[in-house]
Amino acid sequence: MGQQKRSFRRRDFLKGTVAAGAAVGFPYYVPSGVLAQPGRPGANECITVGFIGVGGRGRGLMHEMLGGLCKKGQARVVAVCDVDEKRLATAAREAGPETDAYRDYRYLLERKDIVAVVNGTPDHWHAVQTVHAAQTGKHVYVEKPACCTIEEGKAMVAAGRDNKVSIQVGSQGRSQPEAYLAHRYLVNGMIGRVNHVECFHYPSPIDDKPVPDSDPPPDLDWDFWLGPLPWRPYNARYLPGTFRWLLESGGGQIRDRGAHVMSCAMWWMGADGTGPVTVEATGTSPPKGLWDAAVNMHVTYTFKNPDWVMTWTQAPDAGPRGEPRKAGEDKITRDGYGAIYHGDKGTMTHWGGDGGTWVERKVREWVPPAGAKDVYKSPGHYEDWFEGIKTGKKTIMNIEAAVGVANLTILGNLSFILGRKLKWNQAKQEIEGDEEARRMMSRPQRYPYVL
Amino acid sequence: MNTEQLISAIKGKDEAARAQAWMNAGPVGVEAVAPLTEVMASTDTETRRAATRALWKIVRHAGRPGAEQEAAAVSAKLIAVLEAGPPAGVAREIAWMLSEIAGDEATAPLGRLLKSTELREHARAALQRIPGAKSLGVLEAALTSAPPEYQPAIAVSLRCRGVDVPDVRNDKLKPTRQTTVRKGGK
Repeated sequence: MGQQKRSFRRRDFLKGTVAAGAAVGFPYYVPSGVLAQPGRPGANECITVGFIGVGGRGRGLMHEMLGGLCKKGQARVVAVCDVDEKRLATAAREAGPETDAYRDYRYLLERKDIVAVVNGTPDHWHAVQTVHAAQTGKHVYVEKPACCTIEEGKAMVAAGRDNKVSIQVGSQGRSQPEAYLAHRYLVNGMIGRVNHVECFHYPSPIDDKPVPDSDPPPDLDWDFWLGPLPWRPYNARYLPGTFRWLLESGGGQIRDRGAHVMSCAMWWMGADGTGPVTVEATGTSPPKGLWDAAVNMHVTYTFKNPDWVMTWTQAPDAGPRGEPRKAGEDKITRDGYGAIYHGDKGTMTHWGGDGGTWVERKVREWVPPAGAKDVYKSPGHYEDWFEGIKTGKKTIMNIEAAVGVANLTILGNLSFILGRKLKWNQAKQEIEGDEEARRMMSRPQRYPYVL
Repeated sequence: MNTEQLISAIKGKDEAARAQAWMNAGPVGVEAVAPLTEVMASTDTETRRAATRALWKIVRHAGRPGAEQEAAAVSAKLIAVLEAGPPAGVAREIAWMLSEIAGDEATAPLGRLLKSTELREHARAALQRIPGAKSLGVLEAALTSAPPEYQPAIAVSLRCRGVDVPDVRNDKLKPTRQTTVRKGGK
């Protein structure tokens, strides 16, 4: 693994530097910034972080950092931002008395002291805010799925590359301990050549309590919440959290959890950077209410050279339930989604794929023989990102890989919306032979919330 | 299902029948466009939603490869409704529908919509999406005729279409929204 090699080299360099310092009588302490690469914080530097979107998931991300990297002195949360005043006040209080609060994330981006931002906003903001953050020189952790359209993804990749910032996307399943075990098991050919990854998930919900449009609550800046989306009147069923069940802002389970389960698949299959040649979806729409993401769904992704198939099935009875675990073992708390890997010598099943990733017993108990291949073991999703910030190494869920996964979910939904099979040209990053679908690769954004 | 049955089911009180109607509206085609846009102005939320979704089904069915004549017919009918000045909520949807299937024929009507402060962002988005010299020409003309505060938005569309617009600023990074929340959440 290239990432491992780079990581080891950095540690070797650190060791050498400290040893050299000791030889000439310097203390072992390495001052902040001393080892920094140009434009990057030093190995021991505490990174100042701003949080954009601190409601549901964003608040969770903030607490994860406060309780982890901040406690270790590696990060400091100096600013939070939200379009909802109540949520903003709560988050600012929880982050500490010196934490600045903003409604407009662009104030946060203007601050030169902020090195990195964590973005926990709804999906329709991910691309615009990531691009803006990169263009102001900030490193970015952005929640999954990376983007809502094909063109957004291209812009995110370009922004990361052109501004030389580290972007980590929150498909944190790749960083879970049992994901490492599954990856290692597959890479060592324990089920042979994998020809089918069968992803499963329970359905997206139906809006069974629809309400008419109304005035937004006084604490919410509705226009700013919409941001890049076309303007429309407020409806209480858009948020909080329920944006996930709208195709334009969340995309349903395939985009929410597909960005986890398919992320594991692309990583473990060594398929990052590749894409399907065709995508074909069928499904059922919610019969009423505001939400329009597919309730039940079946998508087939056909890959060539090497030939394999990935399927995504959303249905009440999709997939096997989690196997029982012994006392003291990490319990499977979410077994309603995951994937079955079909190889020519057997199968492997995992559940979850996000912050909870579990794999079946035979994988956990497998002891690699001498000479077995090893794979990259993430130190944790935030920690891997911080390594990326400090060393310039590719993060485990770098923006190129994340956009590749998001594109799978986008194409699946496009095929569902249009009711027809799509042809995808991975090299050109384009849909072919379908003018309407091609136009839907982008969704022009409302000014000034543009890429 | 014909247009009459579609409209009747969408206006009816039977939720299951309404859902089946809009979900299967695609092949009903151009004949149902104008009647559906009338139902899209309904004051009943679920009726309005069902009519809107039915019309989207028709647009996406017509937009399939090999059905260019169907798409042109649907586009022409949508333009006729748009030119008649429907309620803003209906016009919004039509602009986005045209963005997916329309050609040159939609560019002038969408260009006229750029004069409406309520609808111009939807029209601009549609013009940005519709390929060809005509849509580009409408956007270029709008850049000079639009009020100064709207020119940056037009410029964004032109840049997306590959036109260099060096003299018009892009305020995307300029903060504007103020909070009343103080440091530490006070």
